[in-house]
Amino acid sequence: MKKLILIIVLIAIKFSGLGQTQTTIIQNGTLHIGNGEVIENGVLVMENGKITFVGNTLKTLYKNAQVVDAKGKHIYPGLIAMNTILGLNEIDAVRATRDYSETGMFNPNVRSLIAYNTDSKILPTATFNGILYAQAVPMGGIISGSSSLMKTQAWNWEDAAIAIDEGVHINWPSLHLSPYSSEDAEKQLKRTEETISKIEAFFVAAQQYEQAIQPEFNARMHAMKNILNGQQTLYIHAEEAKGILNAVNFFKSKFPAVKIALVGATESYLIIDFLKENKVPVILSTLHALPYKKADDVDQPFKTPAQLMAAGIKVILSKEGSWEARNLPFIAGTAAAYGLTKEQALQCITLNAAEVLGVDAKIGSLEKGKDASLVICEGDILDMRTNVISSAYICGEAINLENEQVKLAKKYKGKYGF
Amino acid sequence: MQAQNGFPLNGPPDKRVQLIAFVHANIQATPNQLFKDATLIVKDGKIEAIQSNDAVIPKGAKIINLNGRFIYPSFIDVFSSYGLNQEKEAKLRSYQQYENNKPGAYAWNDAIHLDRKSVEIFEFEEKKSEQYLASGFGLTLSILPDGIFRGSGVLVLTGKGPAHQLILNSEAATGLSFDKGSSRQDYPGSAMGVVALIRQTYYDANYYTLKKEEVNLSFENFQKHKALPIVFETENKYAALRAAKIGKEFGLSYILKTKGDDYQRIDEIKSTGCQFIIPINFPKPFDVQDPFDAERINLADLKHWEMAPANPAILNAKGIPFAITASGTTNADDFLNNLRKAVKYGLSKEAALTSLTLSPAKMLNIANKVGTLQKGMMANFFISSNDLFEPNAEILDHYTNGNKNAVKAWNNQNMEGVYELDLPELGLVKLAIKNNNTLESYLWTKDTVKVNLTYKSNSLSANIATHKNSDKLIRLEFWVSNTNASQQVTAFNGIAWNSDGVTKSFKGKLITDTPSSKLNKNEDSSVVIGKVLYPFSEFGSNQQPTQNSYLFKGATLWTNEKEGILKDMDVLVSNGKIIAIGKDLKLENAIVVDCKGKHLTNGIIDEHSHIGIYKGVNECTQNITAEVRIGDVINPEDINIYRQLSGGVIACQQLHGSCNPIGGQSSIIKLRWGLGAEDMKFKEAVGFIKFALGENVKQSNWGNETSRYPQTRMGVEQVYYDAFLRAKEYEKKIKENPSLTRRDLELETLVEILNKKRFISCHSYVQSEINMLMKVGDSIGFKVNTFTHILEGYKVADKMKAHGANASTFADWWAYKYEVIDAIPQNAAILNQMGIVTAVNSDDAEMGRRLNQEAAKMVKYGNISEEDAWKMVTLNPAIMLHIDKFTGSIKIGKQADLVLWSDNPLSVYAKAEMTLIDGICYYSIEKDYALRSAIKLERERIIQKMILAKQKGEKTTKHVSAPDIDYHCDTVEEY
Repeated sequence: MKKLILIIVLIAIKFSGLGQTQTTIIQNGTLHIGNGEVIENGVLVMENGKITFVGNTLKTLYKNAQVVDAKGKHIYPGLIAMNTILGLNEIDAVRATRDYSETGMFNPNVRSLIAYNTDSKILPTATFNGILYAQAVPMGGIISGSSSLMKTQAWNWEDAAIAIDEGVHINWPSLHLSPYSSEDAEKQLKRTEETISKIEAFFVAAQQYEQAIQPEFNARMHAMKNILNGQQTLYIHAEEAKGILNAVNFFKSKFPAVKIALVGATESYLIIDFLKENKVPVILSTLHALPYKKADDVDQPFKTPAQLMAAGIKVILSKEGSWEARNLPFIAGTAAAYGLTKEQALQCITLNAAEVLGVDAKIGSLEKGKDASLVICEGDILDMRTNVISSAYICGEAINLENEQVKLAKKYKGKYGF
Repeated sequence: MQAQNGFPLNGPPDKRVQLIAFVHANIQATPNQLFKDATLIVKDGKIEAIQSNDAVIPKGAKIINLNGRFIYPSFIDVFSSYGLNQEKEAKLRSYQQYENNKPGAYAWNDAIHLDRKSVEIFEFEEKKSEQYLASGFGLTLSILPDGIFRGSGVLVLTGKGPAHQLILNSEAATGLSFDKGSSRQDYPGSAMGVVALIRQTYYDANYYTLKKEEVNLSFENFQKHKALPIVFETENKYAALRAAKIGKEFGLSYILKTKGDDYQRIDEIKSTGCQFIIPINFPKPFDVQDPFDAERINLADLKHWEMAPANPAILNAKGIPFAITASGTTNADDFLNNLRKAVKYGLSKEAALTSLTLSPAKMLNIANKVGTLQKGMMANFFISSNDLFEPNAEILDHYTNGNKNAVKAWNNQNMEGVYELDLPELGLVKLAIKNNNTLESYLWTKDTVKVNLTYKSNSLSANIATHKNSDKLIRLEFWVSNTNASQQVTAFNGIAWNSDGVTKSFKGKLITDTPSSKLNKNEDSSVVIGKVLYPFSEFGSNQQPTQNSYLFKGATLWTNEKEGILKDMDVLVSNGKIIAIGKDLKLENAIVVDCKGKHLTNGIIDEHSHIGIYKGVNECTQNITAEVRIGDVINPEDINIYRQLSGGVIACQQLHGSCNPIGGQSSIIKLRWGLGAEDMKFKEAVGFIKFALGENVKQSNWGNETSRYPQTRMGVEQVYYDAFLRAKEYEKKIKENPSLTRRDLELETLVEILNKKRFISCHSYVQSEINMLMKVGDSIGFKVNTFTHILEGYKVADKMKAHGANASTFADWWAYKYEVIDAIPQNAAILNQMGIVTAVNSDDAEMGRRLNQEAAKMVKYGNISEEDAWKMVTLNPAIMLHIDKFTGSIKIGKQADLVLWSDNPLSVYAKAEMTLIDGICYYSIEKDYALRSAIKLERERIIQKMILAKQKGEKTTKHVSAPDIDYHCDTVEEY
């Protein structure tokens, strides 16, 4: 452990955020590409922030290259944590530190990246476990705002952003009665119908705004343009099968140009064929969660990814929240214990995410031409025992793996003379 | 009807002779004694005789010929609020109300109404009277259903009259419940708080009778009321068992009013030795039309719909004494139909009648006066058109104290039969009258038309369409013009209003006295109900699991002993214990489990859990609630118990929440899924209690302004000093004078801590407060057994070591509130390295079922050995819970609490394949798969049955089952 800390300190000094200057060759390690492939004893070359070679044996000679011996270690693409409030929230219970939920019901125009705090104390703890990218997602209301994909280490939000306003988030109402409501069934159902009509009215108005000649400026409508034409993804947050069916059918029939993805989707396992037919990617967020219903199989949350993936549905694994997101690799690990292969599980937190985010040409796998954003791990990144990140690179540049928690541990270990 | 004694009268009094002979009656004198075609003689409010029809009828008796109708003794409802129609005052709730706002020298808590006498507000209540009389109830025990201690109830007649004459016993019983009712006072804020309040109140009231230091009007009648029966309202089977346990402590046998789910725990219900009052408001089928909606209904709710009607029969079969109440039924039809349903589901008619007459009479010690029809008994009875258990039997007249209350107009003459009427416009038509009392009828002209007949003031009236689909009507008024010797009507005379408005007389005559059976519906008489599940929930079994001998062969053994991790070992389990560890072990009849490539460990023990707790994990309402006990409110049906088993958990400490500096007593349970609340308890475990520090105690994150002391960490310290110093004084006092010292359940608990009979688990975060509590403990003379959460423990590990505290922490939680900004995942490792017994806990049902993963994180963050990490969720929590003598490691003689893992238990890929507690397999993947398909089959069977019931015309209700609440430390609910 002491040795590891030493390395971290060295890297900490080196990190500039100004881009890679020296070619780096990582060799002798196991390369987990992110698309399902594995190269044992592989070589990977990073030049000018890009991956320029991935393979078994090096064919070119590099002068002045830094060589990293990764013997016995594993190299992974930087993990992508979708569906988080990383950077938007510091301490759950302290209101002043919460920046993810704007007031109002329809807020497609608010943008999460603006609030993304690159100096959050939480971000380095996510990096510590291999997460190099986070989708900062606004919450609340019906349409919460737009999300962006951010680096977990950068000088400011502008530098951190790699996919700006890539999607807008909508919370679909539950179509079931609440066991807690004091209102009778009829009233509850009526309210749900009303909410759905409000959503429809909003989308119709946005279409009219788009088609109108010089309409009076409307920030909310204006922000809907790229949703309506499918350039941005509409992330539909819904947990229950009935709500998912309702939402997907709603957009397919009324606004077919809208590009949709599902978030949460706890009950997606009940409607696998439907999701497959409609080619909807699913960002699961309740794997480390209790089964939704008492009758559910005890391991239902764990095996849902495998069930969806077996049907050919694109699955992404996520963990809502901020500090909780650091457990993302272990969520994938659990999915691997329940039906996925380890490489499939890895794909769910790397390449599949990059594809949904529209950045798969740049990140998500260890392939030639992509950004050199990767981590070197002492062992299996998906297992808690061996998820020890010895170094990490964003665009070829080694990043700082130090965090406040490590510092505090060191300080007090010092007190006791360990 | 007489006037009240001594009341001035406006005119001469009108006192009449009361002597009636009901002849040709079928008299159900007692539940098992039916006099067929006999005579009942009633005189001056009493039963004079039951005699044969040949016997002489006393001279001057009014004779009523019942023509084969039935007479039953009036039913007695011992769970009623009849006649207590008190407008509930809307009490405004002030935020955080600590004191009783009621004026006067009463008990401190507004849910205690020991002083209340329901008789004081009793009066005749017309609408409800009608409903009771029509349901068969002539007497009720009425208690105002408000509050925990409800005071005394009044025994009354439900018939008409001035209150003076309806009251049979102004204080016939007392009432209790777990519901604080209209009280707006905060305390009690949980089910366990209610139990504590009841217990403390008994002690206080008893003490008051011994030593009157001051006046307390609430307790004045306590001694006098002690001899009365006590009706205790409970909301479900476990609440009933909880009540019975309180009764046992105080030598009281309650009459327990339940929800009607007794069959789900029938053996425990029986073993209480109590008498029961059960409702028969059986649930309606749910609307399950939409399959996704149907998914939201729990198996327990589905099954209860099917099984509830069998509850009375099951109680009866077990020989449990019970009374049936009308409470919960909406009208007389509803009650009587459900009563018949109970009979259809196996309750004998005799038992049904017993539960409505004799049993309630015995409960109230009035069986010598009411409940049966014998000479000298009160003349409380009703006349039924038929055997009451026949589907369309109706109650006609109800006599209370010999006074007639007409329930349904009826004609002594028998009108059933087919008549030929000679009507203008239509000519000869046939009128069939079926069912004398409801006057269901058919009329044949050329077409068959259904007619609604009304019988009023000895006249019948009807409107008849001139032919089918016609909107022209002939309107009739007619009356009996002749009857034969057996009271059969043979002719009518009447007037008809033609459709042109002209009136004309008409006649009708009997053709045959056996009307067509066209109206008879064929009732489906087969009754199928599923089996009771233990627990009554998803993943429950038809039978309780049994103990077996097991031979685990060739496992990698995590002993948690000095032997460490051993490869390829056998373990023998017999009679719940580990009896041998070694190679090539053998035992006859043992189930052999091949463990090749698998890992066998002691099961996980969660030091900090809130699963399996009923109605409130926090008694938040005072800063010290040491008197409340989680052990009183164990919910053995929480599905999360099963889910923990699937994650290899065998035991946990059910902790009180972190709402107050001194919280409630915890309960240590083994996850014996399927057993009852008491059987879950870890029998050998000592007492524990929850303390808490920091933001939750200060109510920092409550949103609103709060006023409860303490609001700062400064105040928290003072709460402890004050409490323990008072506890010391209390101990001294009670030692000096045990009989004349008020027993104080709160201080008594603190004394247990001082005497090392109870141990502290203290919720804690920042170093200052951790240090503080240790200093308070050192100066007063107690030790903090465990600091739980203890996220800044690493900062004061040296001090904790010196104090002798253990630590139970989260693996990696942080940043959820201000006081955890310095929480680090290296905490457990540092504490461990300092030699402090350290555990990793859950505080969360989700995390609880993968605590093996949480332990594994200690390897990553803290770089500790796998063996040490594993001990953090097994042996170490056992040590700090003082149960390591019995469990926590694999050692000969210890309880066989074993888990078989598919892989290294710390691996993210490991699954618990089998979980044993006391050598009993409570979970295995194999069993789990069988249960999964059983759940699907059973749900589908009942759902289809419900749809059928709906198609048959039964009314349905929309229903969503509430999920089991997943409690955390800081969960606060309205109680």
